[in-house]
Amino acid sequence: MPLQLVYLGRNLTRNPLRTLLTAAAVALPITIVVLSSAVIDGISLYLDNSGKQLRLVVINRASIVALLPEGYRTKLEVLDAHRPVYVCGQRWLGGQLPNDPRPLSTLAADVDTFPAVFPDYLLRPGELEAWQTDRQALIVGRGTATQFGWQVGDRITINPSVPPYVPLQFHIVSTAPDAVDTYTLFCRRDYIAEELKRNHYMEDRVSLFFVKCRSASDLEYYRTGIDRSFANATDETMTQDEKTFINQFITQQFDLPRNLTILCAITVLVATLAAANTMSMNFRDRLGEYATLKSIGFGHGAVLATVQAESLAVCAAGGLCGALVPYIAFTYTRLREYHVPLIQQLQVRPVVCLLAVGVALAIGLLAGAWPAWLAARLKPVDAFRALE
Amino acid sequence: MRLPLYYNWRNLLARKLSTSLTFAIVAVVVFVLALLLSFVAGIRAALVATGSPQNLIVLKSGATAEATSLLTYEEAARLVQTPGVALDPAGFPLVSQELSVQTLIDRRSNGTPANVAVRGVDDIAFVVHPEVRLIAGRHMEASSAEVLVGRAAQQRFTGLDVGCQIRLGRKSDRRYTVVGVFEAGGGALESELWAPRTTISDAYGRRLLSSVALRLTSADAVPAALAYIRGPSVQLDGRTELRYYEDLAAKTREIVTLTTALVGLMAIGAAFAVMNTLYAAVDGRRREIAMLRAIGFSRRAIMLALLVESWLLCTAACLCGLVASAFFHGARQDYLSETTWTVLAYELRVTPQIALVAIVLATLVGVAGALLPAARAARINVLQALRKA
Repeated sequence: MPLQLVYLGRNLTRNPLRTLLTAAAVALPITIVVLSSAVIDGISLYLDNSGKQLRLVVINRASIVALLPEGYRTKLEVLDAHRPVYVCGQRWLGGQLPNDPRPLSTLAADVDTFPAVFPDYLLRPGELEAWQTDRQALIVGRGTATQFGWQVGDRITINPSVPPYVPLQFHIVSTAPDAVDTYTLFCRRDYIAEELKRNHYMEDRVSLFFVKCRSASDLEYYRTGIDRSFANATDETMTQDEKTFINQFITQQFDLPRNLTILCAITVLVATLAAANTMSMNFRDRLGEYATLKSIGFGHGAVLATVQAESLAVCAAGGLCGALVPYIAFTYTRLREYHVPLIQQLQVRPVVCLLAVGVALAIGLLAGAWPAWLAARLKPVDAFRALE
Repeated sequence: MRLPLYYNWRNLLARKLSTSLTFAIVAVVVFVLALLLSFVAGIRAALVATGSPQNLIVLKSGATAEATSLLTYEEAARLVQTPGVALDPAGFPLVSQELSVQTLIDRRSNGTPANVAVRGVDDIAFVVHPEVRLIAGRHMEASSAEVLVGRAAQQRFTGLDVGCQIRLGRKSDRRYTVVGVFEAGGGALESELWAPRTTISDAYGRRLLSSVALRLTSADAVPAALAYIRGPSVQLDGRTELRYYEDLAAKTREIVTLTTALVGLMAIGAAFAVMNTLYAAVDGRRREIAMLRAIGFSRRAIMLALLVESWLLCTAACLCGLVASAFFHGARQDYLSETTWTVLAYELRVTPQIALVAIVLATLVGVAGALLPAARAARINVLQALRKA
């Protein structure tokens, strides 16, 4: 083994308690960084998928809660025959289970165009058939299914938060195992329309339309074109691409991506301060040693590397532990079923962990910089005199 | 016999770099804790300050919020006979039929549009909600295109000053003039715009009501009134206003859990850092501690001195963190409720409770970090330490 490595090992084990405490003080912030990054990562995966799907969302200009006439679907479909689109009208139901306060995000969708507009749900042939033939079919995001313990074939009752305000029966036909959206529930709008009619409510209005375009240029064309063609209609429209539409809810509800990033930055600062504290204490304790090294001929670079290597090693160890613990916890234990707001299931991807270890190394570099520089510039004579 | 505080103070100053780094760590952790909790406190304060225990809010059964509730006028009319409902001097029951709609208004801070609640009310609403008081301008006239704005809404969103015109309605084609600003005890109603119900109903083409607010003679009348409302002759969903807004605040519990978990991890990390500093302090002071023991200070006095030293450091850092977070006190934020689909404008609040939680946390970090080093200090062998020059 090279001498430098032996020296590094001895340095690390000289005050094992201090090394351990420092590694732990770095590991915990790194755990926070990993968990926060996993949440941000989940949100951006979701948004990126939305961005790729070439879907537009059309809502009522007055507000998201106001409805649009369902007849707009035909108008949207024939807006430009040269640029064909699929249009899926959806009505928000929200809802709760009887005797369970947890809110559900249920949407009633047009049965015929749903598979074409949402190919990213990857319904399998059997599931697709069940969706098309069973009036009470319900597609449940797998995160929600896990949370409530549902499986394909279950019958459930949902009390909608909006008209018809009566308990509705559903059959789960799919838990969308490959979909990016693990949260939303989709039922058939024709079923809801019947129930609305039976309970004497207006059944001919929808909350929003999803317009699936064939190309990015079509998307851009319809994004402005739709609103122009409904200008001055009784219900004016507001068209946004799906990513923008979803992102506005995320930023208005605690803006997790932004706030967690700020939190991460502050946590990294705390870890850096803790590591820097240790390195400066080590430097003080070993002043004489560094002076000796320099006086027997070790150069600036060698002394600098000695200090810096120790700082990097401690932080790397802390970073590895801090990244591995949440990775294992959220991949192999029951914690992976833990319900996280907005993204439902927390996936700690290896790339996120690697990034966090990178952050830990950066912390090590920063924390060691000042003591390393001081050690490199140390004048042996002054140092020995100071020790006297 | 215990060591003077002066001794602790000089010790902290002896190792300036370590002390200031540890100080910074604890201060930052406390700052983050206080800031995160101030968001939650702000939201909760806005929601909890809303409503009176003797007011009921009636929605369609199954609806979770006013925005998703639809009531017919016939259903609303049945509520006039609710037992225990208070009467105004002229003998009219204090029952306010209300219509909730929304409009998009830009935020002052970044210009992004927010979904703001617009409440269509009659004059009686101001009697049913006595906490709503005009603080600028004048009352709106019945059946006019005039609108009152809540204080929080006026501060958070653009174009809501008295005299401004805003566009409301299904097609945003009705011009309303802002004639007054109201406050509502800091509650959620302050995030709303109030306009005459008849004109709002017309502007938005709404034939149904959203909710009915009732004022009862006293809070004791609540059970009988709720039994009547839920009973066979009305079949609607009634709740006290306090309960309704408490339910809306439920979401903040998730945030509290998340905050506690993250800050908890940070605090443990900080405790390790404190421990490291104090171990170094003990090791560097072995001879000094042995000397103190030799001249008669007990083990307990030595332990206490280190605990006090750590506590002093952490408490001072905690105060510094709190002072920093206090700069954000009163900052206006808003958040979009998943239940009502409208924004709630609130102020960040660094409350005495938050300060207390922060001080408790700092004390815990200080004591937890000092306990083991203090034990080591107390165990120092006097003879050995003194001999080892």
